[in-house]
Amino acid sequence: MSTACFGFRPVSELSFAYLRGGSGEPLEIREHDGNGADPGGALVAEWTPVPGRRSWARLYAEDGRYRLWVEGGGTFRVDPAVPRIELPVGLEPEVRREERLWGIPALLCFLARGDLPLHAAAVEVDGEAVLFAAPGYAGKTTLAAAFDAAGHRVLSEDVSCIRLSPRPAVVPGPAMLRVRRDIAESLPIPGARELAVGDDRVHFALDPERRGDCTPLPIRALVFLRPGDGDLTLEPVSPADALPDLWALAFRLPTADDRERCFQAIAMLADGIRIWNLERPLRLDGLPAVIERIAADA
Amino acid sequence: MALQPDIPLARHPSVVYRDLAEGGVLLHLESGEYHGVNETGLALWNLLERPSTPEELRAGLEAEVEDAPAQLEQDVQAFLEALQARDLIVVDPA
Repeated sequence: MSTACFGFRPVSELSFAYLRGGSGEPLEIREHDGNGADPGGALVAEWTPVPGRRSWARLYAEDGRYRLWVEGGGTFRVDPAVPRIELPVGLEPEVRREERLWGIPALLCFLARGDLPLHAAAVEVDGEAVLFAAPGYAGKTTLAAAFDAAGHRVLSEDVSCIRLSPRPAVVPGPAMLRVRRDIAESLPIPGARELAVGDDRVHFALDPERRGDCTPLPIRALVFLRPGDGDLTLEPVSPADALPDLWALAFRLPTADDRERCFQAIAMLADGIRIWNLERPLRLDGLPAVIERIAADA
Repeated sequence: MALQPDIPLARHPSVVYRDLAEGGVLLHLESGEYHGVNETGLALWNLLERPSTPEELRAGLEAEVEDAPAQLEQDVQAFLEALQARDLIVVDPA
């Protein structure tokens, strides 16, 4: 059976836990053993460590190829033109390595393909995608898990692949959910398999029967998760007002060309979909009402 | 630097414009600063395609707008100051 993620069909001798069904463009994935002798390149991005939440990472570029160094995780080599991703060996459990694979390395490949990487979770509602956009630790995964528990398909957990043409759509990503421990204890995810437990998250592979494939789903709405006073409100946002937040949540390389590409992409996205601000009670027993409201009105 | 009627202004080279369904938006690609623009703001931005003084911009806009409002000069000034505050234009580019 063919398998895929973000619209790519891995061509690899390795096995993966988070793929969906269906097919896509070939993506070579293989291991490399050169952890000690990586070439240079220009530093283009750096993610400073947040204890228990985020590893220190650096992204280098050279001649259109990339090298992502992750503290404790080794070096991922990415050549989007092929496309090909090479993984480090023997430093982390394979599941953790795969999660990193479907992060920045895969994102660089679909960015080169013309898609827009957006920091957002996505779920399927009546055959369309609803995005939950927010920075980290704003409740995206909890909301996605609640939608999953309510019978909706999760399309992306943290980074969504947005295809803008012929109309804005989400290309489903890895079939995983990394749920806060307290949430995992209280919110069962039907059919999901626990693969790992991190510092503060339980890592689930979603039910293979419910993953579906990587066919892009048209975007029904994008919902910004806003801090609120506990009441449930869903208010429309104009495209112009949405742009600063979309700009903050969209991945881009630090070049003038890529910044302009990103701006044009988020403007096209903002103009082509409905956008909402959601304030909600941050309680588990409030989630059913949130789901009902989004499914009905967003 | 305060805007002077006779000192030319120009678009910052790192600023791009994009039409939206309702108005449009300017974005500084390096700083991320942005500014929403309406029809009048867009007309001014178009006039800034070549460096122009605030006075030239006001006159240019007046020529484009039917029944220009009495406060047109103040509107132009406020718009330009907002752009300057966000570094979306440069003063005296020469």
